Parts: sequence; C-alpha cells; structure tokens
Amino acid sequence: MAERVGYRIGIDIGGTFTDLALLGTDGSLITRKVSSTPDDYGRGIADGIVELLRELSLKPSDIVDLVHASTIATNAILEQKGAATALITTRGFRDVLELRRLRIPVLYDLQYDKPPPLVPRHLRFEIDERMAAGGRVKQPLDHASVEAAAAEIAKSGVKALAVTLLHSYANADHERAVVEALRAKLPDDVFVTCSADILPEIREYERTSTTVINAYVGPVVRSYLGALAGKLKGLGISAPLTVMQSNGGVMTADAAVRKPAYIVESGPAAGVIACAHLARRLGRANVISFDMGGTTAKAAMIEDGEAARTTEYEVGAGINLSSKLVKGGGYPIKLPFIDVSEIGAGGGSIVNIDDAGTLKVGPQSAGAVPGPMCYGLGGERPTFTDAMVVLGYLNPVAIAGGRVKLDAARAHAAIEAEVARPLGLKIAEAAHGVYTLAAATMTRAVKAVTTYRGRDPRDFALVAFGGNGPITAVEIARALEIKDVLIPPAPGVFSALGLLVSATEHSAVRTFVREVDALKLADIEAASRALEGEVMQAFAAEGHDVKKVELLRTAELRYVGQAYELPVTLAPGSIDLGAMRSAFDAEHARTYGHSSPGDPVDLISLKVMGRLAAGDGEFDRWSLASKPASAGSRKAFFGAAGWHDTPVVSRADLAGRKRQGPVIVEEYDSTCVIPPGCMVGLDPLGNIAVEVTP
Amino acid sequence: MTDRRLDPITFEVVKNALSSIADEMALVIMRSAYSPVVRDSMDYSTALCDRHGQIIAQGLTLAVQLGAFPDGMRHLLAQYGNDVKEGDIFIFNDPYGSGGQHLPDIYVIKPVFHEGALEGWACTMAHHSDVGGITPGSTAMHATEILQEGLCLPTLKLYDAGKPNTTLLKIIEKNTRQPVQVLGDLKAQLAACSIGERGYLRLLQKYGAAALHPYLDELQDQAERMMRAVIRDIPDGTYRFDDWIDGLGDTPEPIRIAVAVTVKGDEVDIDMAGTSGQVQAAINCPISMVNSVAYCAIRCMTSTGIPNCQGYMRPIKIRAPEGTIVNPLSPAACAARGVIGYRVFDAIVGALAQVVPDKVIAGGEGGPTLLSIGGRHKNKAFVLTEVMVGNWGARATKDGVEGISNPAANLSNQPVELIEAELPLEINHYALVPDSGGAGRQRGGLAFSREYRLTADEAVFTLRSDRRDHPPYGIAEGRAGSPSKNLLTHSGKTEVLPTMPMKAMNLKKGDVFRHISAGGGGYGDPQVRDAELVLADVVAGKVSPQAARDIYGVVIEGGKVDAAATARQRSALRTAAQ
Repeated sequence: MAERVGYRIGIDIGGTFTDLALLGTDGSLITRKVSSTPDDYGRGIADGIVELLRELSLKPSDIVDLVHASTIATNAILEQKGAATALITTRGFRDVLELRRLRIPVLYDLQYDKPPPLVPRHLRFEIDERMAAGGRVKQPLDHASVEAAAAEIAKSGVKALAVTLLHSYANADHERAVVEALRAKLPDDVFVTCSADILPEIREYERTSTTVINAYVGPVVRSYLGALAGKLKGLGISAPLTVMQSNGGVMTADAAVRKPAYIVESGPAAGVIACAHLARRLGRANVISFDMGGTTAKAAMIEDGEAARTTEYEVGAGINLSSKLVKGGGYPIKLPFIDVSEIGAGGGSIVNIDDAGTLKVGPQSAGAVPGPMCYGLGGERPTFTDAMVVLGYLNPVAIAGGRVKLDAARAHAAIEAEVARPLGLKIAEAAHGVYTLAAATMTRAVKAVTTYRGRDPRDFALVAFGGNGPITAVEIARALEIKDVLIPPAPGVFSALGLLVSATEHSAVRTFVREVDALKLADIEAASRALEGEVMQAFAAEGHDVKKVELLRTAELRYVGQAYELPVTLAPGSIDLGAMRSAFDAEHARTYGHSSPGDPVDLISLKVMGRLAAGDGEFDRWSLASKPASAGSRKAFFGAAGWHDTPVVSRADLAGRKRQGPVIVEEYDSTCVIPPGCMVGLDPLGNIAVEVTP
Repeated sequence: MTDRRLDPITFEVVKNALSSIADEMALVIMRSAYSPVVRDSMDYSTALCDRHGQIIAQGLTLAVQLGAFPDGMRHLLAQYGNDVKEGDIFIFNDPYGSGGQHLPDIYVIKPVFHEGALEGWACTMAHHSDVGGITPGSTAMHATEILQEGLCLPTLKLYDAGKPNTTLLKIIEKNTRQPVQVLGDLKAQLAACSIGERGYLRLLQKYGAAALHPYLDELQDQAERMMRAVIRDIPDGTYRFDDWIDGLGDTPEPIRIAVAVTVKGDEVDIDMAGTSGQVQAAINCPISMVNSVAYCAIRCMTSTGIPNCQGYMRPIKIRAPEGTIVNPLSPAACAARGVIGYRVFDAIVGALAQVVPDKVIAGGEGGPTLLSIGGRHKNKAFVLTEVMVGNWGARATKDGVEGISNPAANLSNQPVELIEAELPLEINHYALVPDSGGAGRQRGGLAFSREYRLTADEAVFTLRSDRRDHPPYGIAEGRAGSPSKNLLTHSGKTEVLPTMPMKAMNLKKGDVFRHISAGGGGYGDPQVRDAELVLADVVAGKVSPQAARDIYGVVIEGGKVDAAATARQRSALRTAAQ
C-alpha cells in the first residue's frame, strides 16, 4: 500500500490577500489566494483551509505541518495598537526610551515630529540598583524600590511589562530578580519580558527599544496565535503551528508567543527564503530577491545561497532606504533580520507631480480599495497600474484571469490629465516615465542591499516575484546592468512557498568583547562546544533528530575602537584564530574598501546557528499547468524603442524555444514584460528566464 | 524644468542616484570609523560636488557642516585649480585660508575624473577626537590663538596622483593624542571618497559626461528657482533680531549676535553688522560656519523638496564685518566656535519669526554643549568628547520636541553603556527635566540632564555651554525655556560652573559633573493652551501641577482638569498681569 500523502501548508498574510500554499509529501503543490479578513485574520485562514480541504477531498489529519507568516506584530506597532505597556529601568534612565539616539531622519524640516514612545512617561518606572560595565554589582538591588514600582504597575492595569536595567547583558541577576518579583505581583495574563532574555547586548537604547517592542506586541501576538490555534483545532487539525521569524527561520508558535519581537518581519522574510531556495535548486550562488506587490517593493541579497542578514532594523521608519544610517524615524529592533530594503512603490502607488514640478511614484498608495483608477472602484488618482495599462503592458480588459475588469479609458484619461499634460509629454511617454521612475526608485532599494555592503549587483541574477515584480524586473536589471532575470512560477504566491522550505533554526551566542591577541584558543573552543551543545539541546527538546542538524559558526569582529562589527564564518573543526583574523580583514576591505591588517581586532561574539532543513520541501511539480493565453498580441510602448505590436503568450508557450522580445507573458497572478532586444525562455524548473541586453 | 531638452524622468533618476551616493558615503564612515564622536555622535558630513566644485548632493548628515563645503571648495580651486590630477586627495582644516571651521574638523576631498576630465568631487569632513593643542579633545575654551589649538593643515595633497603623502600622515600621527582613532577615521573618510567616486563614475559611464552635465546644471538651477520662490513668499522688508551669548569665564560679558535679514523680492541679505568683536577665547566663529548656518536657516523656511545642492544658496547673501566674532581674523582661537554658529541660526530664525511666524521655531537648547574629559588611565590615554544636543522650541501649531538633535545639526548621543565600558567614567543619569520647556500655547521641548563621575585617578576637563543668562527665546507670548546649568562636585563640594569656564579644570577620582541643558522656548500664550494637553504633560511628569496652575492656569483635581477652577485661575492670572 502506498504511503499516505501528508500535506504542509504555508500561510502568508498580507493586507489585501492571504496566500495559501499546500505542498504534498509526493511533491504536489497547490496554491490559493483568498481575501484577508483584517478584523480577525484567523477567520480568513480557517475559511481558506476549509475550502482547500473540501476541494481536494483531504482530511484534517492529512495536514502534517502549518507554517505561518503574519504582519500582526508589525501592524500593532505601526498602528500603535499594542498592549498598554510599562517599563522598569535603572534609576536615572527611564527617559532613555524617549530620548532615543536624537538623530533626525530628514534635514531642514522644522515641522518634524518624532514617533511617540511606545511606553508613555508615566508608565516608565525606576528602581534602585546598579551594575558596572563588567557586570560587577555596584549597588545591590533595593527590593523596596521594586515593591513600590510593582504596586504602581499593578494599579495601572497594564497588559505588558518590559524590564531593562543597565549592563544587564553582562550580569542579568537584577533583571531576573525584578521579573520574578513582578510576576508574583501582577495578574498572570500580564506579559513580562526582560532585556537579558530578548537582546543581551550593549547599548541601552537599542536594547530597551527591542525589549519594549517585545512587550508591546506580546499580548497581541499571544491572543492572535492562541485564537488561530483554537480555530485549527476546531477544524480537527492537530499538526504543529510554526511561525516564520524575521531572519527567515521558523519557530514554534509557543516560542513566538514568548519572543514576538522575532516575528516582526516574517512576511518579507518568506519571499526571500523562497528565493534562496530557488537559487540553491538552480545552482546559482548569488541572486537578488525582488518582490513588488500592491503597496511596496522589497529587495534582498542572497549570497552563496544564504540570505544576507542584519541586526539593524526600524519598524515604521517609513519607507526609506537609508535606515542603515540610524535615521531615527521608527522603532529600532536589534535582532536578526533578513536585510530587506523596502520602498513605497507598488501597483497601487499614486502618481503625482510634487512642488518641485517633478514626477513622483508613491509612497502614497490607493491600496486595493479604491485601487487604481482603471479598476473603476472609486479611485480618483492615477497609479502605477494605470500607467501599465496605458503602456499596453497590462491586459486592457481584465486581469487575474478575468476576475478583475479594467477600464483602460479611465487610465488613459488620468495619466494624460495628471502626468502628461503638466510635464508637457505625450501620454505614452508620460506613462513610460512612471515606469522608468518606479524602476529607478526600486533600483535604489536593490543598491541599499548590495552596493551599500560593497557588493556589485552585476554579479547577481535578479529573481522577481509578487504581483508586480515581473512587470518591472527587466527595467531594473537594465538599470543595474544585471544580465539574468528569473520569474518563478506562480510569482504572486511565491512568498508562501518560502514558508514551506524554511528551515527550523536555533542559535546561541556568547559575547566576548576581547582583543583577539589576548584570547586563549582553549577558551574560545570551549565556548564553541558549549554553544553547540545548547543549540542541539534546543532541537532535541522539540523532538527533532539532532543528527540532521547542520551547524554554522560565525565570529563577529571589529577593529578596536570601531562600533560596528562584521561577521566572519568559521570553518568546522578546530578554530584557527589567524585565519579568522585574516578573514575579517578581507571582509572589511570588501565591505568598506579599506582594511588595517596591523591594527588590533576585538572578537565581539561567537555565534552557533543550527539549522534543520524542512523535510520534503522540493516542489518539483509546481503549477506549471498555466493555460495558453488567449490574446494574440497588443500594442505596447517601450520608451526609446517606441510602439511594438507585442505577442502576448502564456508561460507554457515559452517551453521548448527561446523567443526574442518584445513579449508579454500573461499569467493568472502577474504579467511579465520582456522589452525588445531581450531573449526569453523557460528554464528546466519552469522559471521564465530573460537574458537582458542593455 | 525650464530646459525643454531635458527629460524630466532622467532628471529625477539622476537626482535620486546622487543623493543615494552621498548617503552611501555617510554609511561607510559611520560603520568603519574608530572614534566615538564620529561613529556614535555622527559628527561628520558627506557631499558630492559637480565639476565646478558646487555641491550637487548632501548625505543625511550635519547641516552646519554641509553648508561649509562651498567655502572649502572655493579655496581648494583657487589654490590648485590647475593642478588637480587623477588620484589626488586633498586634506585641510585651516579656518583661515582653506575654508575650515575649526581644527578638529578635517576635510578629505577627492576629485573624480572620467575619460581624463575632472567631473566632480567626493567630499567628506569629520570631527576628529584630538588634533593636539593644550587639552585633550582640542577644544580648550581658554585658547587665545589658533596656534594653541593643535595641528593646522592648509589645503594639502594627502595623496598625489594615487601616491600617499607619508610625510604628512606621519606628522598627523605625531600631533594627536589619539593616533589610532584619527588615522582610523581618516581611513573611513578615504573609503567614503572612493565609494563616492565609484558611484559618480557609474553615472558618468551610464549617461556620458556631455549628456549628464545639463542635468546637473538644471539641478542647481531648480534648487535656486525653488529657493527664490520660497523667499518671494516672505514679505519684503528688513527684520532685525539680537540674540546673545552669555559670555566668557567667571564674570561674563554678554556677546551680541546681531542680524538684519533683508528680504527683497526673491533674495535674502543677512547683515551681521553690530555683532560683538572677536574675543580672546576659542569661540570665534570662522565665516565658513556662519555661512553654513545662514544657508540652513533660510532653507528651513520650507519643507518642500528643494534638491539639496548649492543652487539654493545662490539667492542668500551673508555679510559679516571682519574682526567680529562671526568673521574673526587669524590667529583668533576658534576650536569651540560652534556655540556662535548655532546662535546665528537662532538669531536669523528669530528675525524671520516677525514675518513668517508659522514657519519658524522658538529657541532650542542653543546647539551642542561641548565637553571633553581626558587623561591617562592604566597607562593609556583616554578622551571623552561629547557634543550634547537635546531639544527644539515650539512651533506655531506643534509643541517643541525633546530628545532630538538641534535642527542645524544631526547629531546622535553616545550610549551610556559604551562610555562606561570603554572609559573610566560612569554616567549617573540621563534624563528629561520637568518644567524646563518654555510655557506656551505650544510648549517648548524639555531640557535634558546628564551626570558623569570620574573613576580614573585624575583627568582634565573642558566645557563649553551657554544659554544660562540668555535662555532660548519664546515666540508670540511664549515663555523662554529654562536656563542651562553646570554643576561640579569636587572633593565633596558642589559649585556652579560658568557656562564657559576659561580654564581646563582638574578632576579627581569621584568628582561628579552634571550638565543640565537649556529648555526649548514656548510659542503663544500659555494660558490658552488646551487644558487637556496640560493635563497630559502633568500626567507624564513633564509639567508639575504647580506650574500647570501658576503658569498655564490649569487646575487639576483627581487626575482631571477642573474646568471651573481653571477658568477662574486663568481669569485671575490675566487680571494679575494687567
């Protein structure tokens, strides 16, 4: 008897749509887009799953695993709808959260306002205690001051509490004692977290901000995941629920409830993980992941098969590219993130002429409702999508397999009145300007994750997905002189696939901050072994087979005196300090263009990450069965290359032979534009492969 | 776009690309610099200049520094105009002859060549932690000549056609107490120049120099046109304002900063006649910084997207009589000149408040308080250089802001934990100060207080602060912010220090220094402030119940506004005032 097929489900929630991807142990893959239900996201998920189960005649017990990416934590911060939260600090430092790092994200604007602190001043309490920098107790914990704070906090009725004491990264005794004392005093449902548990790292503001965010979103994430688990149980699904972290690994729902700050960017991470997986399958080491949806576009870099990561992130810094410059416009979280740069340009982005008389695309968005003018749903401002209709890139009658009807005349009128006439351009030129400009903005997003790290985009292939990624991909590639563009199958739900291939990850870190020359090899090797043991234990505790765990060791180093460290991967086996040091010099030269091999180097931390690949994650048979397009051809405008009668084909039509652009590939969930001069075909995995010519 | 041959799309694309290059340069410096004042306080700036040496893009850095690049470039071109080669890199800090502001600010500038032609410049400047002179940190208030302030570099080639000037590097290394930090930071500046060069070259390769030039020129012209349009909206007239520096030492004589801002059509003339003469102390402010803050102040009169290039400076003329504290003559000491520069900003904004009150801001903390504590500990030299900023005054429709950099700067603060981990110092508190924001319909931003304790055996300490006798002004019946204060507890005895002590002070282990900044000025009559906002401030502990009653006339009972009592109190306050 054949073994029963089990199914894993990836669930990716966006503001407009929830994407579901169902992957069978036999390699079969089914994807589905359903409407999101923002009042209760769990309902949309449950409805979507019920529908899929019914359609495929599956039983709830056929579901063996659920992996979820959610924007619930981000939205709580962006909309300031987290829990009422209190903060306890060392006496003299309750205002650190509000003073921040002082920087202003914009020059010359006297009307600027800072983001308000997530914990208002009257809920920030100080206690008497003090650690010295090395972790020595300078002033013992004064329990009376803790009791006093506890009484006030209990009275305030907050739902969450963060505790951040100075130098707790070096000695967490006081923090833990405070947490224990407060847990005893507060109702059980108050979410309590301390910085030593979430970010044991030097720099009080960043640590406090991260811990406060963990507390602020804690109750929201807990009730959301709790309710979702309840609904799934109600459906008879007993498979474990896991959640994608901002760094692309997955964690159990229980862990996410304890450390919700880790899942803030789970959605964007999923797409990048899908892309990294695709890159590995194609045997390509270096690709740029480019995801353009309805409101934003996101870029990330995958190097040697791994997504580049960062620990500097600001939630709600707005859509900005220079977040790495400590702009101060949002709420910093200093945890591992996939380094995604995001900008406010998507299909719904509003096109307008600013005070300077220059054309702008975004960041305001018409969203899904009212949406672009051509949707005829009440949109009053021209959008990126309207310009694509004018150019002939989008089907002028309907998209999404006929589900969304378009009114091309409205798009034409709007682009003419609001873009072409004010700029003195012909309507097609104006629409193409929108296209070029959006691509240029996105080019900046790609540069922020490549050239800003000393990487040359020309060494990468561009993998484009999301509803609008395939429209702009080739234009972006041209701007960056990238030669290869790949569009994976089902680009609109590609992110959800990332959930199905994401690995379970656990990591452990030990902070050193010691000069490498003063280190004893035995100490660091002992630390490495201890960290490996910790990681393995974490996998064992979740019932995993530790033999399958792959370990990755990294050391973070910097020149003595610097403030920012760079990671260096350590080879397995015994540690070679000399090699580690040279690898750091090389990475520094590569990233910043200079190095100082003679200068002393500090080892900041040693990190061991364990990774357990998702089981049967290969989706070989993904939905290649797209139907041939019905349209034969239509006129499309390609800037300097002018108007072309352009063949409109389906992905399947590309099989077997390469075609010369211009070509438009229409699919259910996106449209790919290949301009004149470029060649296009299908690769063996069913990706649309474009050879870009300048 | 006046030039119809230009494509508006390409224009926008080029503009974005340029500012992204300048930001990338700034990022490289932040991440690879060695000294806390550069890497943590972010006291540095980056820009790109076009082939004429005119700024074409600014990094997200310090306005007060960005506006000084034009003076530096002018001097550089005057001296080397015919001798700029590919692979050259220029360095300077001389305030009297190379366009520098003070000696710690070292400029590193690299020309960009494309197909053999000079096409532009990658520019950086950074505040270095020490360039020698009488005290650690090189910002001694009591210097009387620039010759006491450290190493002075006229415009020189640090690299000549790609070859490093090792003689000069050795001289620099020998003339600082912090050679590792200074050379490390210089490397970061050099790297940023290379990054800027690379980015600029990409643009040139993509478009071709001949095709790119008209876009660059149009960018300058557009910035100029937009700035002129902003100025045209300001009614013509001459608007005068005097702001004051408290003065030097134990018996301070106020120093007058006089501005007459004349708006005529689409041009602004800023005349600083009447400003006090230069002094025998380090606060003389070389003209390049005065120019810089003046450009910044006018630029701040709009929040529209004027391209950040030199064109917007064209309609602004600045006149400062030689020999005044805003245009000192060599060899006037100038290491601590910032206080004057920031006050010029305040004075110009104060003048404009008379005519565009909805666009201005009440006085803020007055610019950075500059503090250096240095010495030797465990056989190693240490220096803490702090540039402390903290609040904005109120705006016409918005409260001031607390916990923010001065608008003419874009500085950050140094993490307490890093200071304690790296230096023999402890920070006892870093906090907002209640009742320090100037009262008003819109309240000024709160002051901050920061306290240091020395744990080394001894150290030398210098300080430059201000705004005690002349606190940040309010606007339209708004009250001034609270005055600044410096307290030194030495061997158990606490004394109030002058705002500008004219000597280096010796600290012993256990000595404690506290700086309380000035608070931001208020805007409008405090007694018409929305009582609920006053209540919110009281709940937050930002305004005391007593100040709510006595100054705002708001009576709070049981956590609520007592409307009737408030009406009575406000009426009583009005009567008392008449």
